[in-house]
Amino acid sequence: MTGFILRRLVYAGVVLVAVVFFLAVLVKLVPGDAVDLMISSNPGLTAADAARLRTELGLDRSAVAQFIHYAERLADGDFGQSLRHGKPVWDLLSERLPATLELTVLAMILALVIAIPLGMMAALRQGSAVDYAATVFSVLGVATPGFLVGILLILLFSVDLGWLPPSGRGQSLTISLWRAIRDWDAAVFWASLRYYAMPALSLALVVAAINARLIRSAMLEVLRQDFVLFAKSKGLTRRRINFRHVLRNALIPTVTIIGLQLGFLISGAFIIENVFGWPGLGRLAVDAIHWRDYPLIQGTVLLSAVLFVSLTLLVDLLYCVLDPRIDYAKR
Amino acid sequence: MPSADAAAPALTAEDELPRGGRRFLRELLRSPKGLTGFVLVLAVLLIALFAPLIATNDPAEQVITHRFLPPVWAEGGKWSHPLGGDNLGRDIFSRMVHGTRISVVVALIVISVIVVFGTAVGLASGYFGRLVDSILMRIVDFQLSFPFILLALLLLAILGKSFWTLVLALSVAFWVNIARLVRGETMRIRSLEFVQAARGIGVPEWRIIAGHILPNTLPALVVLATLDVAVIVLAEAAMSFLGLGIQPPTPSWGTMISDGRNYLYEAPWMTLAPGLGIMLTAIGINLLGDFLRDTYDPRMARR
Repeated sequence: MTGFILRRLVYAGVVLVAVVFFLAVLVKLVPGDAVDLMISSNPGLTAADAARLRTELGLDRSAVAQFIHYAERLADGDFGQSLRHGKPVWDLLSERLPATLELTVLAMILALVIAIPLGMMAALRQGSAVDYAATVFSVLGVATPGFLVGILLILLFSVDLGWLPPSGRGQSLTISLWRAIRDWDAAVFWASLRYYAMPALSLALVVAAINARLIRSAMLEVLRQDFVLFAKSKGLTRRRINFRHVLRNALIPTVTIIGLQLGFLISGAFIIENVFGWPGLGRLAVDAIHWRDYPLIQGTVLLSAVLFVSLTLLVDLLYCVLDPRIDYAKR
Repeated sequence: MPSADAAAPALTAEDELPRGGRRFLRELLRSPKGLTGFVLVLAVLLIALFAPLIATNDPAEQVITHRFLPPVWAEGGKWSHPLGGDNLGRDIFSRMVHGTRISVVVALIVISVIVVFGTAVGLASGYFGRLVDSILMRIVDFQLSFPFILLALLLLAILGKSFWTLVLALSVAFWVNIARLVRGETMRIRSLEFVQAARGIGVPEWRIIAGHILPNTLPALVVLATLDVAVIVLAEAAMSFLGLGIQPPTPSWGTMISDGRNYLYEAPWMTLAPGLGIMLTAIGINLLGDFLRDTYDPRMARR
């Protein structure tokens, strides 16, 4: 098991080094003169800025020299200056990272909270109205883009009913949860959750649809196993069989793909953030592309990659703890 | 999963390849799900093919008096512009119809590219194994461990926004699934008796791959490719919605939604029409894909 963890860590390290290398030489790959492009997209830049950028982005160095230069700067915590915002990239990133992280994690939790009961009920009552509803939910969920769900939610809950704010993030959910517990005051938490509800739901829906289907078929598979029959003949209660024996085994395939779904959720978050004016990495990245703000593009991509690699690593380690049957030597 | 050939033993799955359209039609007429999907997909393809004949108004023409023109069923709507006008007075129906064409064109180009490339990589990896397989699969792993949007952003940063950047970004993002599937199928089929027999009588390797293995990967490949088309349509819409995909003035469903969301209150149909277009297309492709899987995929028959 230590071997597995070690190998996983090395792999994560290799991926990140590859990303850093790619980002370091990114600007060299742009056809034409990248600095000219940046200047034409950001009219405030002067000739001195252009010269500084040429050195900073390594247009006058070899790829390897630039990689070393870039890695050294990163090690010093220097991500460069954003062309558009005129601020250090790191300041922008550290402002935005918690927003994306919270949104992604909340969406994953929400997706599981929807998918597990739905998939379970659909499997236990195969062919019933619940099963039918779950199928319709899966088909619709997979076919509806998250940004459309987001817009429809805004139309209903903000424009028509006026219940929820259509954009912005409000107070950090983690901080307000902590405050709500400390002061024993749920109102603080609800005030913050109002902002998170619609973005998280629109992000979660596709994943919930996929997982509900997955859990349903995994449950059906497990229900056919001999040990379930044995548990029944032993006289265990239905409840105990369904939760302790069937659900637990049926969740394993879901846990396996949660890691991959995190990548999907990060991609989704980048899109959803643009629907809800969410102050996260995704909006920063999309704006950076529009303005050709290369230092900012490098920063957002690098940080998203770090976020993704560490979340998947975490899921893998959790998986190790949850399912002792895995043969680590083979992974 | 109830499947039509439940009575047939597993081995015949290989023999029951879709020969001609008769079996397809017979199965299709029996499955309401498959039929719905087939009709939706056919409708989308026909609309894309005959776009200029269906929508005679110019999708880019701006008519001041048609700004926020309501759809025909609302008060003040006109039959000449059944879905009304958008914020610039362009005909929404016409933009929808021409947008269908864009979605179909992007999806067909991308799926062709990734099927060819993914199949080649999958066949090589699955057939030759060892070093080739290790190298190719490490590349696949690396790519799988990377969110699609980051790859797309990198390509956009290098190449700038354009139609071909979009096509390239989608192809790079989705070829991996195809390669993995074909690799798995190739490894399975390679060990079957008829391939061993062909080897035994000295059939050259390229003929084993092209004549025996490739045709047998097709059922599973067609199913996955069909389902992937839905993913591509949705991803194209998302990229265009962000302003990173299809660029104006070309009408695309994603950009139409992005234009429409600023006028949700005054003109919800600007958003709802293209939204419905995307959903119906994706539902149709998914239903058709599920039907094909239930009917033809040998991996389903073995269960």
